[in-house]
Amino acid sequence: MLFDGLKILEFGGGAAGPLGTRYFADHGATVVRVESRQRPDFIRLLRYTPGDPAGLDGSHMFAMVNVNKLGVALNMSHPKAIDVARRLVGWCDVLAENFAPKALAKWGLDYASLTTIKPDLIMISTCLNGQSGPDRNYPGFGGQGSAISGFNHLTGWADREPLGPFGTITDSLSPRLVALLVGSALLHRKRTGQGQYLDLAQVEGGVVCLSENILSLSGAGELLGRIGNRSRHAAPHGAFQCAAEGDDDDRWVAIAVQSDEDWQALRRAMGDPMWAAEERFAGVEGRLQHVDDLEKGLTEWTRPRLALDVVGLLQQHGVEAGLVSNFADQLNDPQLAHRQHFRQVEHRVIGKHLCETNAMRFSLTPESIRQPAPCLGEHSEHVCRDILGMTAAEYETLRSEEVFV
Amino acid sequence: MLGNLSGYRILDLTDESGFLAGKLLADLGAEVIKIEPPQGDPLRRRGPFVGGKSDPERSIVWLALNTGKRGVTLDLTRARGREVFCSLSRRADAILETAGPKDPRGLTALGVGYQKLRAENRGLVLCNLSPFGQSGPYSGYRGSDLISVAMGGNMYPTGNPDRAPVRCSLPVSYYHGGIEAAIGVVFALWGREISGEGQVVDVSRQEVMGMPNMTTPTQFPFTGFKGGRVGGGFRGNKAFFRELWPCKDGYVSFALRGGPARIPGILKLIEYMDENGAAPACLKERDWQKYNHNVISQPEVDEIEAALAQFFQSKTMDELFATACERNLMLAPANTARQILSSRQLAAREFFVALDDPGRGITLTYPGAFAKSSLGGIAVRSPAPRLGEHNAVVYGELGLDVDELSAAGAI
Repeated sequence: MLFDGLKILEFGGGAAGPLGTRYFADHGATVVRVESRQRPDFIRLLRYTPGDPAGLDGSHMFAMVNVNKLGVALNMSHPKAIDVARRLVGWCDVLAENFAPKALAKWGLDYASLTTIKPDLIMISTCLNGQSGPDRNYPGFGGQGSAISGFNHLTGWADREPLGPFGTITDSLSPRLVALLVGSALLHRKRTGQGQYLDLAQVEGGVVCLSENILSLSGAGELLGRIGNRSRHAAPHGAFQCAAEGDDDDRWVAIAVQSDEDWQALRRAMGDPMWAAEERFAGVEGRLQHVDDLEKGLTEWTRPRLALDVVGLLQQHGVEAGLVSNFADQLNDPQLAHRQHFRQVEHRVIGKHLCETNAMRFSLTPESIRQPAPCLGEHSEHVCRDILGMTAAEYETLRSEEVFV
Repeated sequence: MLGNLSGYRILDLTDESGFLAGKLLADLGAEVIKIEPPQGDPLRRRGPFVGGKSDPERSIVWLALNTGKRGVTLDLTRARGREVFCSLSRRADAILETAGPKDPRGLTALGVGYQKLRAENRGLVLCNLSPFGQSGPYSGYRGSDLISVAMGGNMYPTGNPDRAPVRCSLPVSYYHGGIEAAIGVVFALWGREISGEGQVVDVSRQEVMGMPNMTTPTQFPFTGFKGGRVGGGFRGNKAFFRELWPCKDGYVSFALRGGPARIPGILKLIEYMDENGAAPACLKERDWQKYNHNVISQPEVDEIEAALAQFFQSKTMDELFATACERNLMLAPANTARQILSSRQLAAREFFVALDDPGRGITLTYPGAFAKSSLGGIAVRSPAPRLGEHNAVVYGELGLDVDELSAAGAI
């Protein structure tokens, strides 16, 4: 596999860091995740209710984010746990962490100290605001990241409150940037022998993606806002309601008409109804000007039809259309199935479950899902003995001193 | 300034959906050559424009997402243009393109597919970012951002319950897809360092929109939750929680999520409200240490949220965020570009950069490097190229004469 032999040590929680190391785990790297029962990863608690017999190992989200990783429990308030962590740093190629900035420094695990153990260490930290600046220690999750970097303000209807996008988007942009940064640092180390420390502020990554938002103001004096599904350059461009399916009256199709040629194709696909033949809709400027009427006409056409029928018909005519796919639809999507986006693993507590992989398919070096996410501390002994080479007696001593909790 | 990818040469044939990929690779030090048709990329004609007047050298979206690249023109529909492309490809490490398998603009359709290029450059990497991927039942479908966000499952759960599902007004699938394609290039270059062999990486924009859903589709067999829209909020096991709140002059994000990491922030918010005489008994008398958002009932949430709503409306975004930073309230403003440009945190990190653009006679403020490296090396190195700006230097390096190419209609 692509990253056979690569060794990654991971501290932190949630998705923003852990989904980043997944890219390497899915391509063969050994990823050791350090956690603690003293302060569990918050996604182990997302759906947790007291008395749940599955305890901290019943979180579906944790299991789905952390497949292909090994899990070690280390009680970092114990000095001997810090020794174990330092030995793991000596073993690894890459250290990835997404705590608030003060956490690793508090344990003496800052980059400068760690390079005395491992001179060519690649280390990446990703937190909300980055490792410097007055607000560096401000704790934040994806909800704050999406708000500060501008995504919330740009999502939703002009006359309503800002919305998502669903899933706190900096939590999914950041892991991708983590994978890109670490991959590039590995190439640099391979060519020069040099390690490096990388500081990814999740807000900054989001603002870079939204460069058009910043440049619109700094370059053209235009303050962008949320405009629903509409486009400033094309119409119709939106989600249109389709026929109910059973008791589900929340079925929609997304349609994007990019050009006058597309509009002609859409008219043909609809059987050229009278309203659509109106001259005011023939050019993009007219369609943008009369967009309310345009959307009303199109909705009257889609409303009695099944969403997937509309998608098939429009795509056959070369018009951009897609099902507004809900979570059940996702699992039945034939294209995602063709790409094997969803894979099954069997978790020791949850049982069989699906997880996702990334969106890249390599012609020579395919990814693989090989093992479920770890239960908390599941591989403490394996990692200490087989990777760090501790004797049984040494491991047992540390265990009895409650280092591995 | 050297970067992690200095020395790698990448040919960038992408349309708008892939601009970000080459930009990020250029930030990391790669030499990225943006190849446009002689009449220019269509995005150059999309507004808004610097100065307000339509000008292909002043399109905001072009300027924003093509920084750090060199730019050449090349007519791939002509035989001479394709010959030149093959010469470029022999000296390149990777090619980025955004054509689906049936797209007539794609390299395969133009007769310069990967197998042909690879025959003359065994280590060549081709990374293709397309709406659905290069094979499969929907691979012939067309789809811009709206379609990717819809079919990737991220639109259905975004929005108000009484309206249509909605996307972000800027194309997030191009951002996710652009980063994924950049990862694809870097990973395949790593593979080449080991085996000497280049390969093809096939990225699907529908599929990149999976990760943003944060595992909710794969949880469906357990939860039965299809993603119904709840406005600016989230669902616990028993109740709905608001996450975006109107304040005096805009909106802030704050959620009553529990867990050891969140509860201290809730307590400090109540303290702050109390100092303002705005913390009723339902806030002060609750045992917050035991708070769990999966257990609390909707009427209790409603009572707490009514007090929060009233309080937030009495304060501005700046007041709330300044206090939040001081006391770790886990509250954040739903920023506009204006507020982002005036952020004290981003200023302290010298995030924004003013790029001199003498070729256009302008200096604009850009978002800077997407991350910081202890080696330096990640930076926005130059403004986006003007049309054909680097024809002479890039084609000169191949020993080609620009006047001859021009006369042949190749560039």
